[in-house]
Amino acid sequence: MKIEVDYKRCEGHGLCEDQAPDVFELDDEGDLIYQFEGQDVPAEHQTAAARGAAACPVAALRVVQ
Amino acid sequence: MTTTETAPTYSGDIYTDAALLEPYEDYRALRELGPAVWLEKHGAYAVARYDEARAVLMDSDTFRSANGIALNEPANEAILGCTLASDGELHAHLRQVVAHRLTPRALRPMKDLVRERADELVAELVERRSFDAVADLARALPLSIVPDFIGWPQEGREHLLRWAGANFDSFGPMNERAQRAMPQCGEMAAFGAEVVRTGNVLPGSLGAGVLEARDKGEVTTEQTMMLMLDYLAPSLDTTISAVGSAIWLFSQHPDQWDLLRKDPSLIPNAVNEIVRIESPIRAFGRLANEDTEIGGVPIPAGSRVLVIYASANRDERKFERPDEFDVTRRDAVHQLGFGLGDHGCAGQGLARMETESLLHALAQRVTRFHLGETERALNNLIRAFGTVRVTVDTED
Repeated sequence: MKIEVDYKRCEGHGLCEDQAPDVFELDDEGDLIYQFEGQDVPAEHQTAAARGAAACPVAALRVVQ
Repeated sequence: MTTTETAPTYSGDIYTDAALLEPYEDYRALRELGPAVWLEKHGAYAVARYDEARAVLMDSDTFRSANGIALNEPANEAILGCTLASDGELHAHLRQVVAHRLTPRALRPMKDLVRERADELVAELVERRSFDAVADLARALPLSIVPDFIGWPQEGREHLLRWAGANFDSFGPMNERAQRAMPQCGEMAAFGAEVVRTGNVLPGSLGAGVLEARDKGEVTTEQTMMLMLDYLAPSLDTTISAVGSAIWLFSQHPDQWDLLRKDPSLIPNAVNEIVRIESPIRAFGRLANEDTEIGGVPIPAGSRVLVIYASANRDERKFERPDEFDVTRRDAVHQLGFGLGDHGCAGQGLARMETESLLHALAQRVTRFHLGETERALNNLIRAFGTVRVTVDTED
C-alpha cells in the first residue's frame, strides 16, 4: 500500500496527524511531512495511514493499493 | 456499473417548516429508498447516503457547482462566479485568491487572539451564570473576529447576519423563505460591489488581499465583486450554528461534557461530532455535466443533484449508532459537514479554531449546562438555533 500526497492541495489541517501521528506530521510551519514518501507503507502502519488519508478534508491524500 | 435501475421517487417537501424543524425522519426515508432518490417537489435527485454523497463531492468533473449549488435558477444565477459556484481551473484559481490566507497554516498567528477572545467572553458569561448561548456566545465570538479579519467597513456590519441568512435561504427551492430572501441577497451583493468600487476595506485584511490581487491583474473587477460574496455569506452563520448546537447537545448529554472536561484533547474530535450530528449546512446541490449514475441509479446530463450532508452524516451504513452524540466516536472525522475535495469549506480552519477555543474556555470553568428556553431559527440551508438559554454550574 502506498499513499500519494498532493502537496499543492494540502492546506495543513492536520487531521491526518491526529489519526496517524507516526505516519503524518505537521512541522512548525504547518507543512506536511509524510514518513513513507515514495515507499510502501509498512504493514504495522497501514491501518492508521488509511485512516489518516480518509480524514483529509481537502482530499489531498490518496491510498494506492 | 450497470445502470438498469430507475430512481425511486419521494413526494414529500423537505423544506416545509415542519420538515426543517425535524428533518431526520425524511432523511432516513430517503436513505432507505436508495442511493439517489428523485425529489418530485424539488426537481432534483437527493443523495442521502454517505458513500454516494462522498463520491459525488469527490467527482467535481461530473458534478459541477456552477449553476448547481441552489435548488432554484435565480439564486444560481446570482452567485455564478464566486468560488462556491465555479468549477475546474477557474475555481482553483479563484479559491487560491480567496483562501490562501485561510488555510490552517496561514491562520496560525490568529490562534492566540482567538483563544484570548474566547477566554474573555466565556469568563464574563460564566460570571453571569445565565445567558443565551446563541446571542451571547455563538454570535459574539465570530462577530468580534471575522468582520475585522475580512476587513469590512464599520458601516454595513449590522446587516451581515441578516444578509448571510437570506443568502442561505435563497439556496433552497423557490419557496416563500427564498422569495423573501432574494431582495436582501441583492443588498448584500450591492454592499460587496460598493466595497470593491471604493476600496473601503481595512488595511492588511483578507478583503484588502483580494483587491490587491485585482490590482495585480490576477482577477477582474467583476470577479472581485463575486469573490466578496464568498466572504460575506458563509463566514458567520455556519460557526454560529455549530456553537449553538454544541451547547444544546452538551446540556442534554452531561456525561459527554464530563468526558470533555476530563480530557480536553477530545475537543477537536468533539467538534467533528457536533458537525456530524447537527450539520450546520443541510445540503448543497450539483449539476450533472453528463449522463452518469449514482450507486447504479442513472442520472441524465443536466440533472440537479442534492447532496444532503446532514443525512449522509447520520447514515447507519457508515456510522454506528448514528443518532447518538459521542465525542469519542473514532470516525467522527469522516463527517461531510464541511463538504469535501475541491469545494471543501475554505474557512473550516477558522471555524474549528473558534469552536474549539470556546469549548476549551468553557471546559475550564463550567461543570454543567442547564437548558432553558430554546428556539429554532428556520432557514432553507442552515440548521441552527435562534435561542439556547442556559444556566451554568461551576466548581466553586
